[in-house]
Amino acid sequence: MKMLRLFPLELRRLLQSRLTWLILLLTVLSPVLGLVLYKPATSTTMLSMYLANPAIAGGVAGAILFGLVAIFELDRARRSRVDILTDAVVSPLTTALTRLLALLTAAVLTAGLTMLVWLPISAGLIGSVFTGANYVLAYLLLMGLALPLGILAAAAAYQFTRRADLSIVLFIAFCALSLTVWADDWQLCWLNPCVWALSDDFSNFRVFRSVAWMRLTWLAALAGAWTVSYLCIRQYGKGIFGSLARSVRRVYRPVIAAALLACSVTAYAAQPFIDHSNPDLTVMSFYEIPYAEGVTFLSRSAQVFPDTSAGTVTGRASYQFQNTSGQEQSIFFGVNPGYTISNVKANGADVPFTVSGYQEYNEARLEVTIPAEEEVELTMEYSGFPQESLPTMQGGKELSGEYLCLENSALSPRVMNVMPGEEGYPAVIEVTLPETMIAIPFSSSQAEVISENADGTRTWRYEHNGAGGILYAGDYVREDIEAGGMTIQFYYGRKHQAVMEEAGAVEAVKAVVDYCTEHYGTLSFGSGETLKLIQSRVAGGGYAVGGASLLDEADFTIANLGDADKGAIPGEVFIHELVHQWWGLGNMFDTVDPTSPWSSEGLTVYTTYRIVKELYGEAYAQEHYVDQWRQAVDDYYLNFYVRNPEYLEVLPEAVQLGISNSLSSVRRYSEMPLKILKAEQLAGGEEAMDQILKGLFNRELDPMYPYLTYQEFLDACHLTEEELDLG
Amino acid sequence: MQLNIQHVSMTYPNGKQALKDLDLELKTPSLIGLLGPNGAGKSTLMKLLVAALMPTAGSILVDGEPLPKADRRLKAQLGYLPQDFGLFDELTVTEFLDYMAALKGLPDPKAAIRAVVRAVNLEEKARSRIRTLSGGQRQRVGIAQALLGDPPLLIFDEPTVGLDPEERIHFRNLFSRAAQDRLVLLSTHIIEDVQSVCDCLVVMDHGQVLFTGTPEELIRSAQGHVGVFWEREEAQEAGLHITARVNTSQGVRCRAVADQLPPYAQAEEPTLEDAYLYLTSREAVQ
Repeated sequence: MKMLRLFPLELRRLLQSRLTWLILLLTVLSPVLGLVLYKPATSTTMLSMYLANPAIAGGVAGAILFGLVAIFELDRARRSRVDILTDAVVSPLTTALTRLLALLTAAVLTAGLTMLVWLPISAGLIGSVFTGANYVLAYLLLMGLALPLGILAAAAAYQFTRRADLSIVLFIAFCALSLTVWADDWQLCWLNPCVWALSDDFSNFRVFRSVAWMRLTWLAALAGAWTVSYLCIRQYGKGIFGSLARSVRRVYRPVIAAALLACSVTAYAAQPFIDHSNPDLTVMSFYEIPYAEGVTFLSRSAQVFPDTSAGTVTGRASYQFQNTSGQEQSIFFGVNPGYTISNVKANGADVPFTVSGYQEYNEARLEVTIPAEEEVELTMEYSGFPQESLPTMQGGKELSGEYLCLENSALSPRVMNVMPGEEGYPAVIEVTLPETMIAIPFSSSQAEVISENADGTRTWRYEHNGAGGILYAGDYVREDIEAGGMTIQFYYGRKHQAVMEEAGAVEAVKAVVDYCTEHYGTLSFGSGETLKLIQSRVAGGGYAVGGASLLDEADFTIANLGDADKGAIPGEVFIHELVHQWWGLGNMFDTVDPTSPWSSEGLTVYTTYRIVKELYGEAYAQEHYVDQWRQAVDDYYLNFYVRNPEYLEVLPEAVQLGISNSLSSVRRYSEMPLKILKAEQLAGGEEAMDQILKGLFNRELDPMYPYLTYQEFLDACHLTEEELDLG
Repeated sequence: MQLNIQHVSMTYPNGKQALKDLDLELKTPSLIGLLGPNGAGKSTLMKLLVAALMPTAGSILVDGEPLPKADRRLKAQLGYLPQDFGLFDELTVTEFLDYMAALKGLPDPKAAIRAVVRAVNLEEKARSRIRTLSGGQRQRVGIAQALLGDPPLLIFDEPTVGLDPEERIHFRNLFSRAAQDRLVLLSTHIIEDVQSVCDCLVVMDHGQVLFTGTPEELIRSAQGHVGVFWEREEAQEAGLHITARVNTSQGVRCRAVADQLPPYAQAEEPTLEDAYLYLTSREAVQ
């Protein structure tokens, strides 16, 4: 009761301090650091650049500032000797608790004020993909919860040491640990959460859940540490241990501290997000399991029920095998490490099974013994929260009402050691989704709705051939485009509709597919009749399989579509990104040396120029492409650091990297296209170059090194590197 | 209210023994003056009485209940002014008292604040920031916070330090009035403060109680041990504790206390200061 009366006064006293207002102001301004200086989210989505980075920077700065102000405030009473008066009236424990609550309230007010101030700025920077939910969750989790953590850590340090100088050193060291040694450990980086990307067009619940888990883990840990330090608050003139011995006499106090610490340890150990896959990616022991003798795969069916609210999956899978060995056989499956397997039956009877603790490539190994019968139907149920393998690139297993991606063993257990039958690995997958979601198998097969359910869900069904399989689903817009002699099914997020329409996406797809198919040939992953182009949630790149290709949303952000290096207008940047389906995905480039001017960008920019020339005429293409390249290359050759590289070497590493990246970008986006243009002229003109590129595109690939090299390009043009010198 | 100090000893972690087997009984109503030289153990005793320290031996009972069990009850009834204290400079006088009133859990803080501000003559400064106050005004804020809520136990450690003579007299009277129905413990070096208002004195030295009784009893104990004489050679003053030397036109007139007055000294009526000095000097000799 006394504390409730004291709290408003303590808060008022805190808010009357000029230092508090200075800290509050600095914290409110601190997200600007995320726009200019500190950018831990490396993706180029609008939300990564203009929401995640400012919020994380605000959290880092705010937590440090509030930690320091906590030490200052706690020490002030002692320094000014007011504690002698207050301790005579009320227990110093009550005072400490009240001060903590006042500081936490000030932090909450600051976070709220920051959100208000940055709301219009963020909305303006992010544009049409801005949503209130993403904004609130980002500022609450990435920034807001950092402030109480800073306060708890600093207050605990002070209450243990009772010395401001020592507390500051300890607190700063604790912050530095998070920013350096723990920066890549998503559970330990309490100050700067491991968020590499936020999706613009789809949901971010998985990332937010993981950050919330980390924050709550630390909140319990630091609240526990603070409670222990609270027990050490000096009383009756005793030292740390004497005070502790006296404080623990009220048993509920140490019990609360122990409970908080136990919660934290449990949360740390039992996190549901990341698996324990072998970090050595060269080990592939699951692929070395010998095939079960005499067992052949006949078919698979699975009913998958994603719970889009909880982010979990429940499923039933059924496998038909033919066992001609006359013996029991061990069948191995890869299962997502987050899933629990239950109710495993063979021909209706329970059979023994085990799930290995060892995990590899985001799979645990499920071993099931099937009976010595010729026809075996194996059924199993699985459920859980799908786990991921890469803690620094979380979000791939996003599962919400807006988007989901279930890959291989996250969709249903993947059989590992059974020979395919005559039809391969035929499978029928049924997935029940909210009515707003469209199911898109990442293959040539088409999903169809087989039932509209009373609970507002729809069940989709599709056939697949393979032991695994990938399913995308989301609130997509689908455009069917006839181009290049096939139907392009172009799927993009509904939230991105305005941007896509502004960029003339449909026209761009048609123009690119027609042009590239005609000039270079069809994509090897097209099924012949259809090709799905699926805009995916930010994933760090695209990939393709037969009949489907992925477009990473990061390539289609408002900012990227406005990148003048890639095209004069957003529609042309869109063309550029689509051309990467041919140069980048259809033909891959070695990216080992990021400073090399030869990359997928050279041929992509050149092809974009050719398409634009065809669409808008030679003068336009000359002005917006060739002249721009020349200008950039001239500037590049005149650049001080290019002419005097020895001066670049003596600059600080970070500055050096910034300049090198900028110069490297000019070489890839301007110098190389200009060289290809020169090659075109030397080789005999556009048609000759088209033939050369067609030959390269359709060349026989070396499976050990399937990349298109600069030397191969030069050889195809019958030119030398020196002949393409622009100097 | 009754405080019982039973066989209390206090030894600090550095080995210094501040109190030795102290026994005292303090009861309402009473204004008790606590006298003693520096290092006598007065402040340690006060800290023990406000539960800022725990004795290393013995016990302190608050209305029969031992500390620290009676900690809450003691704090609820206590007004304490330490010798060395601080205030929140960024607050106004009223805000600070409001803060202390909330700490004390007073039901009507505004009325209580008005009363103490009036009592310590700080009405004009009630809305001033504490950082703008003089040393004496800050001391008065300290006294005001102790008086807040009319606590039945008041403990003042050197309360009149920094106050001008007029204010000192004002506060003496204030303490005297407060002691009519309360237990007031006043530690001071200023004998006049004690002489004029205290009904009971506790004289301490080297962690022990030398005297407990009324000021009159202390004065009586020095009867025949105080004398005046004209200054003599230093050797002839051995054994005397000179308490005053006054330069006059006829020479230096000395006042001294001693177990045995020399024949050349003329006996004088002892003051409380003489008696105190006689007591402490005798203790020192012993």
